[in-house]
Amino acid sequence: MSGSPRVVIGHPRPSAAGPLRDVLGRLGIRHVTVVDRDGLAGAAAEAPHLLLLHAGLPGFGPGLLAGLRAEAHLCDVPILVLGRFAGSHHRRALMQAGASDLLARPLTLAELSARLSVHLENRRLDRSLQEVILSLRTYHHGAMQRMALAREMQLGLLPDATACRLLESRYGITLDSHFESSSELGGDLWGARPLDDQRFGLFLCDFTGHGVAAALNTFRLHALLARTDLPADDPAETLAALNALLVGLLPEAQFAAMIYAVVDVGADRLVYATAGAPRPLIRHADSRLEVGPSCGLPLGVASGARYRNHCLDFPSGSTLLLFSDALYEARGWDGEMFGYGGVTDLVRCLGDGAPDRPLDRLLDRYFTTMPRLLADDLTLVWISRTGRSPSGPD
Amino acid sequence: MDYTVHDSGNLRELELRGQITFEADGDFRTILAEWQQGGIGDCVLNLSAVDYMDSAGLGLLVMANNAAKQAGVTFRLKHPRGQVRELIEISEFHTIIPCEF
Repeated sequence: MSGSPRVVIGHPRPSAAGPLRDVLGRLGIRHVTVVDRDGLAGAAAEAPHLLLLHAGLPGFGPGLLAGLRAEAHLCDVPILVLGRFAGSHHRRALMQAGASDLLARPLTLAELSARLSVHLENRRLDRSLQEVILSLRTYHHGAMQRMALAREMQLGLLPDATACRLLESRYGITLDSHFESSSELGGDLWGARPLDDQRFGLFLCDFTGHGVAAALNTFRLHALLARTDLPADDPAETLAALNALLVGLLPEAQFAAMIYAVVDVGADRLVYATAGAPRPLIRHADSRLEVGPSCGLPLGVASGARYRNHCLDFPSGSTLLLFSDALYEARGWDGEMFGYGGVTDLVRCLGDGAPDRPLDRLLDRYFTTMPRLLADDLTLVWISRTGRSPSGPD
Repeated sequence: MDYTVHDSGNLRELELRGQITFEADGDFRTILAEWQQGGIGDCVLNLSAVDYMDSAGLGLLVMANNAAKQAGVTFRLKHPRGQVRELIEISEFHTIIPCEF
């Protein structure tokens, strides 16, 4: 609140308001305006911090109070009434019409001073609180706008629909994905890019923690992956190279779990390496489910870490599911962890007649047993080899 | 998470219980601060009663391992179970911190 509080006194005889002025003066109030009934509306229009009305004002009563209260700039200003009040009925009517307090005469100046002091202090605190709330609202609004922009940028790191459709037609696959942050920003990232007419690279990465710090790391990784000198067709070497770059960049105790895979539709196989990432799941054409091995230090933990390539059959008719650990580490309403068993059950329940892009259906079922509010970022990538022949080179 | 301390000569065994997640950060810092005071040559984290650890928990193990090197403390893990063992194995943490399975 800027400056000294302004107080308006409405008095039937302004010249007799000297003692009231003196009391306010001793409380440090320098801006006191005393008006009679005719001057009340004009003085009240200047948004005083407190209004003190003498009950002897001509026309004073609940109607006058209600009229003042109805003014937008007076709706939360303390209005005190000084006078003699006939009985409880009258006092209640005045309070209901908008009086903040009734100062019943006879009243000593010391008591009057104490009562005014309380109301002025309350008003000051209320105004300070309002200013803090306004400031927080402004900050929150700005932060939300900045966060929304950052989220747009993060979603921009993921393959868009056009890129996905190009992969589908080029390699004879269907591709479905789900990306869901536990807060505005997340620490997951996935991507895919062509290597040649038979092979494309695919990765899913999950940085420690979630929120802004983890999201910043996804931008780091995205920039590193754009480097053309990565051995992108060798998953283990790609992870080793990324690890060497991230060890110097990530703070202690921050790292990334990542799977990098090369899908080879010519050789009907999947070659992949993992760095602390969940195991990949393959559903074969005969509905058999295979959970691949996973071992390797997360990226960014130790320089010189080595990774191993694993190879799984991935012929036409089979499906690959990659997911971040949130999927199986989440706990259901019963407190039990979902686990790999839960994930394989989910895929099994899709049955043979699953749509090309079944993740919505799969997650609908998942969230019937899991709380919708995730504790961690959740990413899934589903790739089915359709059996339709790839389009080949243009 | 909570834990019990068992000292035997200069060997300290910490029996951890519950979940090792970001919330365990304060407890870990207390544990590491005590290493700085000396008198501990060997420290074992007994994980048999830990039922869940996430990647932030792995981060705390990295932090503890680095602090142990600085303080000259031999640091190791033992008896991880269930999801904790699975996480240590797929993350190969036993290659950077000795772990008795």
